[in-house]
Amino acid sequence: MGEHTVASFDEDLGQISRLIRDMGDLAGSMVGGATKALLNSDNALAQRVVSDDAIMDARQRELDDRAITLIAKRQPMADDLRHVVGSIRMAGDLERIGDLAKNIAKRVGTVGLSVTPRDLSHSIDAMAQLVLIQVQGVIEEYAARDAAALAKLRADDERIDVKYTSVFRELLTYMMEDPRNITACTHLLFCAKNLERIGDHVTNIAENAYYVLTGTQLPANRPKQDETAMSAPAA
Amino acid sequence: MSQMLSPDMTIAAEATAKAKIEVKNLNFYYGQSKALKDITLSLPERSVTAFIGPSGCGKSTLLRVFNRIYELYPKQTAEGQVLLDGQNILDRSQDLNLLRTKIGMVFQKPTPFPMSIYENIAFGVRLYEKISKSEMDGRVEQALKRAALWTEVKDKLNASGLSLSGGQQQRLCIARTVAVKPEVILLDEPASALDPLSTAKIEELIDELQADYTIVIVTHNMQQAARVSKQTAFMYLGELVEFDRTEKIFTSPREKRTQDYITGRFG
Repeated sequence: MGEHTVASFDEDLGQISRLIRDMGDLAGSMVGGATKALLNSDNALAQRVVSDDAIMDARQRELDDRAITLIAKRQPMADDLRHVVGSIRMAGDLERIGDLAKNIAKRVGTVGLSVTPRDLSHSIDAMAQLVLIQVQGVIEEYAARDAAALAKLRADDERIDVKYTSVFRELLTYMMEDPRNITACTHLLFCAKNLERIGDHVTNIAENAYYVLTGTQLPANRPKQDETAMSAPAA
Repeated sequence: MSQMLSPDMTIAAEATAKAKIEVKNLNFYYGQSKALKDITLSLPERSVTAFIGPSGCGKSTLLRVFNRIYELYPKQTAEGQVLLDGQNILDRSQDLNLLRTKIGMVFQKPTPFPMSIYENIAFGVRLYEKISKSEMDGRVEQALKRAALWTEVKDKLNASGLSLSGGQQQRLCIARTVAVKPEVILLDEPASALDPLSTAKIEELIDELQADYTIVIVTHNMQQAARVSKQTAFMYLGELVEFDRTEKIFTSPREKRTQDYITGRFG
């Protein structure tokens, strides 16, 4: 992409890109930190994730300000317009990822490792790894301007949905086996749901990034594999 | 499927109205210099089409072919076809006066005649029609209303057209154009010399007029093109680079040259 005749226009757009990268990096570190804190009962790490959310919110506000000022000053067109509007939307999803990671971190003290069955830790860990790869991947592929990789990444969310379904069933089993597991397992269920929601925000980001890069929308329908709504026990 | 159609065909398929003007393989020369290169495009009826492009790209030249106003100058020639309702207006047999009643034009700088507001409008009508004083009064009022100027001038119709503000003068010129009941209105940078409020009034007027007229506007203001037109043509160095729905041109143009121009990455 060539440079604008007005050099400060490039600087303004560059600052918005940098903020998206910063927020993406922070989102990755928060998701990674929250799940690590959960699996290791690491309260200090959990606290750091909680406080990182304030930084994430501040970044989003800064991006909103810059984007709105840029629209007012420059009236961007075509790919520039898609870039600015897409960034506003991506920042919204990144901020939500931060909120969900914070929510996981807040549950760390309540869950407690002692009651968490070993197999379950493995399942949540595996799910968290899938989510983390997606969060880090989406920002990398956007920075690399790789639209095809973004389309694939969006489709890969299916694996998280499948994993979530199996974690959900696993948790139900533990709760049925021993009612003393219910408190911890309910918190873990929320954590798993949060991870699944983070995956959904990543697919939103991938869709926006794809539109920013290509000017065309990915097809509306993506295969959904979260079957928990169907497998819920009858009342 | 729609992705496989050419942009022109996409427009044609979407437009409910028929083509008012069809340009086919048009070449234009200023002496030896070729200013338009093999232009082919189709302008739908009762719709606003914008021509954009850097200075010297040929957009005003193309506009000037539509009413053959270029013939006022020596050594300017057009080759190819420009069909107005299927009739080639470049034919030598074409009656120029008749053509210019059908295709009105408004220029960048307001050009009221040095006469009263009333006469500015009546003058043109009288050239083509013999009507009574009361009928003429009606025509003048109707034209001024159509150009959203009536309420501002109805009490001073005998005042000079030149006494009006720039924005009012431009609307007077539009009223003058509308008064002879044209089918097509050509606007060459109609708001570039006006303040934002007058510009907004002209844009509002364009919006209203497209219900009855086919409008072609040349503008350097891309936001204006994006606001007022249904389809946009981007021209560069005498070529038609891209012609598509306006929202497509300004959000995701097909051609890199269009993208570079509208995003300010040109040259």
